[in-house]
Amino acid sequence: MTVLYDTIIIGAGHNGLVAAATLAAGGQRVLVLEQRPALGGVAGAEEAWPGYYVPTGATDAALLQEEIIRKLDLGRHGLAFAQPPALLFAPQPDGRSLTIWRDEARTTAEIARLSRHDAERWPAFRAQVERVARLLSGMLLLAPPDLSALRGGDLKGWAPLALRLKRLGDADMMELMRILPMAVRDYLDEWFESDVLKGALGGSAVVGATLGPRGAGTNLGFLYQNLGGLLQVRPVAGGMGALAAALAAAARARGAEIRTGAAVERILIEGDLEPVAAGVVLHSGETIRAGVVLSNADPRRTLFDLVGPQHLEPETMRAVRNIIYRGSTARVDLALNGLPDFAGATGTEQLGGRIRVSPSLDYIERAYDAAKYGRASERPYLEIVIPTLNDPSLAPAGHHILTITALYAPYALRDGDWAGQAPAFGDAVLDVLEGVAPGTRATVVHCRVVTPLDLEQRYGLTEGSIYHGQMGLDQMLVMRPIPGWSRYET
Amino acid sequence: MTNQHYDAIVIGAGHNGLVAGAYLARSGKKTLILEKRHLVGGASVTEEIYPGFKFTVFSYVVSLFRPEIVRELNLPAHGLTILPLESTLTPTLDGDDYLYRDGDHYQTLRNIARFSPRDADAYDDYARSMYFMAKAVKYILGVIPPDPTTLHPKDMMGLLEMARHFLGLGQEQLYMLAKLMTMSAADFVEQWFESEPLKATLSASGIIGTFLGPRSPGTAYVLLHHYMGEIDGAYRAWGFHKGGTGGLAEVLAQAARAQGAEVRCNAGVARVLTSGGRAAGVVLENGDEIRAPLVLSSLDPKQTFLRLVDPQQLPDDLVVAVRRFQTFGSSGKVNLALDRLPELGCRPGVGRHLAGAVSISPNLDYIERAYDDAKYGHFSRRPYVDIIIPSMIDPDMAPPGKHVMSCFVQYAPYELADGDWTDARRDAFGDAVVDVLATYFPNIRDLILHRQVLTPVDVERITGITQGNIFHGELNLSQLFFLRPAPGYAKYRTPIKGYYQCGSGTHPGGGIMGAPGRLGALEALRDSRS
Repeated sequence: MTVLYDTIIIGAGHNGLVAAATLAAGGQRVLVLEQRPALGGVAGAEEAWPGYYVPTGATDAALLQEEIIRKLDLGRHGLAFAQPPALLFAPQPDGRSLTIWRDEARTTAEIARLSRHDAERWPAFRAQVERVARLLSGMLLLAPPDLSALRGGDLKGWAPLALRLKRLGDADMMELMRILPMAVRDYLDEWFESDVLKGALGGSAVVGATLGPRGAGTNLGFLYQNLGGLLQVRPVAGGMGALAAALAAAARARGAEIRTGAAVERILIEGDLEPVAAGVVLHSGETIRAGVVLSNADPRRTLFDLVGPQHLEPETMRAVRNIIYRGSTARVDLALNGLPDFAGATGTEQLGGRIRVSPSLDYIERAYDAAKYGRASERPYLEIVIPTLNDPSLAPAGHHILTITALYAPYALRDGDWAGQAPAFGDAVLDVLEGVAPGTRATVVHCRVVTPLDLEQRYGLTEGSIYHGQMGLDQMLVMRPIPGWSRYET
Repeated sequence: MTNQHYDAIVIGAGHNGLVAGAYLARSGKKTLILEKRHLVGGASVTEEIYPGFKFTVFSYVVSLFRPEIVRELNLPAHGLTILPLESTLTPTLDGDDYLYRDGDHYQTLRNIARFSPRDADAYDDYARSMYFMAKAVKYILGVIPPDPTTLHPKDMMGLLEMARHFLGLGQEQLYMLAKLMTMSAADFVEQWFESEPLKATLSASGIIGTFLGPRSPGTAYVLLHHYMGEIDGAYRAWGFHKGGTGGLAEVLAQAARAQGAEVRCNAGVARVLTSGGRAAGVVLENGDEIRAPLVLSSLDPKQTFLRLVDPQQLPDDLVVAVRRFQTFGSSGKVNLALDRLPELGCRPGVGRHLAGAVSISPNLDYIERAYDDAKYGHFSRRPYVDIIIPSMIDPDMAPPGKHVMSCFVQYAPYELADGDWTDARRDAFGDAVVDVLATYFPNIRDLILHRQVLTPVDVERITGITQGNIFHGELNLSQLFFLRPAPGYAKYRTPIKGYYQCGSGTHPGGGIMGAPGRLGALEALRDSRS
């Protein structure tokens, strides 16, 4: 059989599509294989109920690297963003609220109502977060260096970063080293006194991790979530499906081929002494050969299911088995026949960005406590978006979609299973929502709860970890996915 | 007002102050060590709180003490006597079984295998890994933290040398070290083990002295910090000093005097004298002025920078950094005078097992729940307790037939959610500890002749350590190495010439280690020579 492709990419998630477009632009013959009928993986959209389109996973594209948008010319392939005036709205159970606006003066005035001290600190805080975030994004665009072979070629890639670090000034560099490993709670405590403000900000740090705001290293999560700018939101016009469509169009325009409904059974490995990837075998039995196979699936699926333990060293097996996934993020999608009446909201102007229910950092910490003992939170932390505000066509006229990311819903429940507990968790989420938007329950037309188990079964995310492994300090950069393997080769 | 002159003054006669004073005197400096209490030792003191019974009031074991200090100050000649603590017994939750680990390696493996054969298989690999990690990190205990942001040749050399050391470790160890620096103690030990008593009792080393739980990232480093102990070259060897930790302080004071230093008690320092931006001496609380061109503070950074000198003399960045230096105290101590030896319900009778540690850490959830209480401002209802019976190791600690019991307890937060630490709340905390003890030592209540309960507020009141933090400040990545106690001020110097730091708030941190005292004194001596 002849080799038809240079590279096969397993999975048409956003990373798979970006890889396809990048490789095809370099002149390679690329084939992308996706097991589901839709593209985008968890960064896509789906019709949950007839006429209602909900984002599958990611709700906006704030973290999509600017350089990728530019290089792949995604604008020409139909990618556009909405610009809601409010970045974050935090309704409080006591009827108050806090809004962080795109407009800084409006934000400081808003914060001053809670604390004059905090309002004065806000501009300096924003400046520091964005300065550090710029530095971190510089690190993200480079392949991480191999720590134990810090010589030659590896150092070159980091030279620009080292220079940028140097230009930051000694004080900033020290500050960076000090704040990265901190607990987000300690970091925010250094800046602010208002529980409402700190609670609203701190939620960024724990999404995608089974950690509470007192956990060391959660500040890295906080800074990571704010890479695109402090609390930045960038809803995709036409919903998240439009992002997958634009990425696919960019890949196809460069000559890549994309096949949906093509589940990969295993990676074809040839040669005993020096095994090499030679292609893939599909569920249908079809064999497709290629010189290079790129996996967009998470490390445990890639190495255990697709490659197979017989091809791996025992130490690698143990390291992969020890990756902490620990998904504890659930999704509750609601179709409503009207807009919820949020405490402190004067109209829809405040609701176009993210809406967070986290009245204090201790509120999040208490929600996390349950997860430590293998229980779902009784009073979960909620992060809500209403995609229909930026694009009414995503639901029938007058109706709205609420997409709620709820923490903590640990993948591994100590008692019972998710099939039995999903409805109760959905109820807990609605109770919390009712506390800040009374009357919402009566407007629910459809409701579905997507548990970490569902995420694993439907999208192949091990333990429902939305970031393919917990974003803890022990699993970032050179330590990701396992030590010594961070340079994407296997 | 008297006028007295010295070459060097050390503020505080805790173990670091005494070590610093001994090194200064050894270099020929006329040295005075000042202590506000009536006895030397600071937090390593032995006191006869109840007639005939000697309590190791605060710290109770020795393991981290640096061997180079033992050698350089010839401490054995001054009476250094460290008796080994050979075993750890961990009862299960309801107290009807226990895990016992001691110097008999194969018996220990068999004991672990009763809980999990897999854990017994993994135990050697874990021990070997920790041994190598401790060995790798030990290197930094003896170095001045280089400043990574300057291009000063000395710093560059220091960084290069350190890079060479760590890169020489080999890939696997280097990555394990990176994990240790960032993980939670629970996640770290769960890479090897599955049985609860073993996981919990190992993780407990990761929470001692911190305001974190075993599932908090960052506690794996604290675990390693406790593994760096080295007695006669054996890592993770805990020991008990003859006469308690106060006995060790006496040995250090003896060594300092032998070098010519003067140790003066009942002499609290009110402030450091400066003149023209230079240290000039100290003023005592009684108004006496004592002059010296070198002044070293072994007190914690908040005392050193915010109380002993006028913060207005200091750069803003330092003052801000010291104010936010995390010093929240989280440990308490209960010391008991007992009428006779208590018996464990799970292992009745008298035996060697009572000469080791008894660790009340039945499972990870138990410790984590104790932490949950504390993080919302309550003392733990069912605390983690690390128990030793000093009189079983050193009979001189109590009258014949009687015993003393030392209980280190977590958590007791420095601040409570529902008001101050009153006498009633302290008693309630003591009751909670005795309740836990009674679960495992059923007859203990009948044996208690006297009970001393210490909260972090008591530790602060008696020793002067800010917020009663036993390490002078949390051991987290943001407060270690070149960030301890503040960026740019980690080399024992201060912005005031002639004024130095030499306490646990500096690199490499707390525990009865002596390294900050030694390194601080050596840096002061280096400057005074040039």
